[in-house]
Amino acid sequence: MSTIYPTAISTTTRQLSRRSVFEVLLHKGRISRADLAKVTGFSKQTTSDVIDEFERQGLVRPVGRTSGNIGRTAVLYELSSDSGHVLGVDLGGTKLTAAIADIASRVLAEATEPTDPRGGKFVLEQIAKLANRLAREANTHPSRIRSIVIGTPGVVSPKTGAIELAPNIADIGQVDVAAVLTGMLGSPVAIENDVNLALLGETWHGCAQGISNVAFIALGTGIGLGLAVNGKLVRGEHGAAGEIGYFPIGADPQRVEARNQGCLEYAAGASGILRRYIESGGEPVEHVRAIFERMRGGDHIAIEVIGDTARLIAMAAAMVVALIDPKLIVLGGSIGAQPEFAVRVTEELARVSSRVTPVLPSILGNRAGVVGALAVAISKLHEDLFGIAELPSAMPLPSPRVLAEGGSR
Amino acid sequence: MILERQDKYLRQFEQRAKRLMLHTMLTLPMANLTSVCESTGLPLNIVGVLAADLARSGWIHLADSSANTEVDHATRYCLTGSAGYCLGVDLGGTKVAAALADFTGCFMAEMTEPTDARGERHVVDQIVSLAKKLSRSAHVDASKIQSVMVGIPGAVDPQSGRISLVPNIKGLADCGVLSLLQNAFGSNVRLDNDVNLAMLAEKTQGSARGYNHAAFLALGTGVGMGLTVDGKVVRGATGAAGEISYLPIGRDTTSFEALRTGAFELEVGSLAIIKRFQAQGGATTATVRDVFGLLSAGDKAAHSVIESTAAAIASAVTALQSILDLEIIVLGGSIGSRPEMVERVQRAMSRVFSRPVHIAASQLGSRAGLIGAVCGALTGLHDHYLGALSDANSVDGGSHALRQP
Repeated sequence: MSTIYPTAISTTTRQLSRRSVFEVLLHKGRISRADLAKVTGFSKQTTSDVIDEFERQGLVRPVGRTSGNIGRTAVLYELSSDSGHVLGVDLGGTKLTAAIADIASRVLAEATEPTDPRGGKFVLEQIAKLANRLAREANTHPSRIRSIVIGTPGVVSPKTGAIELAPNIADIGQVDVAAVLTGMLGSPVAIENDVNLALLGETWHGCAQGISNVAFIALGTGIGLGLAVNGKLVRGEHGAAGEIGYFPIGADPQRVEARNQGCLEYAAGASGILRRYIESGGEPVEHVRAIFERMRGGDHIAIEVIGDTARLIAMAAAMVVALIDPKLIVLGGSIGAQPEFAVRVTEELARVSSRVTPVLPSILGNRAGVVGALAVAISKLHEDLFGIAELPSAMPLPSPRVLAEGGSR
Repeated sequence: MILERQDKYLRQFEQRAKRLMLHTMLTLPMANLTSVCESTGLPLNIVGVLAADLARSGWIHLADSSANTEVDHATRYCLTGSAGYCLGVDLGGTKVAAALADFTGCFMAEMTEPTDARGERHVVDQIVSLAKKLSRSAHVDASKIQSVMVGIPGAVDPQSGRISLVPNIKGLADCGVLSLLQNAFGSNVRLDNDVNLAMLAEKTQGSARGYNHAAFLALGTGVGMGLTVDGKVVRGATGAAGEISYLPIGRDTTSFEALRTGAFELEVGSLAIIKRFQAQGGATTATVRDVFGLLSAGDKAAHSVIESTAAAIASAVTALQSILDLEIIVLGGSIGSRPEMVERVQRAMSRVFSRPVHIAASQLGSRAGLIGAVCGALTGLHDHYLGALSDANSVDGGSHALRQP
């Protein structure tokens, strides 16, 4: 066969062996040259050449020797932090969270601050300043950040990358966020919908690990859904997949406010919950959080309003189940992640659906978005270094086990 | 320099490359090697060598057999029809339709019969007998059928292959259909939900041709949906994606009946239409066809019933479009494909959904299930000989059209 494919062989196998070795290092943490050859199936010569190349590039470093075996001890290698870092950002209307991780997915620094209320380019400058500060804390330089992913509320057009429908951040629709941040930080920047990232965060490190058909319902200021089908994120034609605020539940779509905002969001979004609480005679409050507190204190009106909200969300979940048949539904967002809420939704779901699809609260809570941003940023970095068009599957993300061994924040 | 164990990777690469080439030749019949290179991204020297290999195996042949044996960029190949055969079956509660197709997807013979009312394994025997009749009719040896796809009116678990929710065919879920069929035809037999196969047909050569994000809504006595996302049919975690009978839409979403049969089916199925029509004073012997017929006569009851049905369907479409942002939604089935219903759903959508939604009527009608079954069987045939092209999870036909006599 080697005579049929002259140059195709050497380049392809070199790429394949590099990628194989990298995958093993990701999953095993530390390993010797000989064991690498055994696990990958490539010859000792090939794997040794790859380790030499990786060492030259700063991708791996020696970290001790094997022990307890017969014969000479062997040098162990692991992925080095020096080869590059990634930045994940979760940009919300109220809070901004950012984190830096290395190529082996070790989180090195993380912080949250209130989003600059002036919006627009002030927010972008805030992100750049936060990135620089985190880089210092992580003992690295901003120039070593090789991949950046920003999560925002709203719809990201898959064709142009522009953010549309992000009402919570003033003037952000006017700015070319990716271009400006690339200019400020010097690395490629990708923008992604924040609920999509929260879903990815939960499939990587949260309660949806290893599940390829899963829906994440985010209930906060607004209502959104992230969806993975057959292991891939669903975006839809215009990037508007997941806008379940427009589900025909809870309000009459012939009413103009309900139609514009979406029936379900009008009825069960944060302002809808507040409106129903006050209309039912509740004492005015600032945030839905307070209604939950009153519910726990025994306030009957609060109990009823939250119960009705759970019923509306359960109907939405029943729609998702009938349409997509996910294995699991995760509830997140500042309202959705409240522990009692998932329990109430599960009870109400059994009233409108005979299928028993589990509904779980998000484990990562308000960190889900930034963890998802890191997951995507790391995937992009790996693809840049090792991606090959012909290989049948995408690079798998390292399992959380490796993080625990390698140390984390 | 040959490195040990790299052969496995190269074999995978070669299989994948051949499969890509075959897919191109199906989509662009009579394509020359330059087009194949452009479509697959493979270089000419590799394409040339692989094409010669495919020809030696009998899957393709030179389009111009008189040409000299020099293979270059202008050389054209075609798929060899007689290289293999497949069987597509659309198994319904009342009728079973089957078609035999060759390696290029060309229909060789087709038949429809009333489904054996005894159900259970009698239905399997009926399928085997149909295969024999079709083979005789096409002058093909029945043992050359190397791939079978059977569409059933129920859910198929993608992992285990077990079927459920098939009330229309007695005992089908319990008789081990898959293994009985495999005993008769060999291991390359697959089952799928009939609406999923209709979606495949619409995507391959129907109203959804060329779209990557699409849905097919079958609305008739029962209701069901097939879904395509990123070009692949979606089955869900247990094969129950598209069981839209259970959408919580309609007057009754919580009763025992609603949970058992499905609120949406109780609202828009043909039984529901007839009941509502009768409740509004319509004739007790009316059928759905009669109700639609009375529309043009200006009958108030007919108008009201059809309008409320369209409104409920628009709710389902709203839910579908909100969650998936599809490019097109195809309406089919005995109720869905009627132009009067399609118009009313489109009008209702413009009242309740602020973004435009592309809704089209099915053009394949009652043949969608059979066409989809043959598409699936054809992919299974190519996978059998040349390795799977797409992920193991999806059995999808390519974008080529099947040729029917």
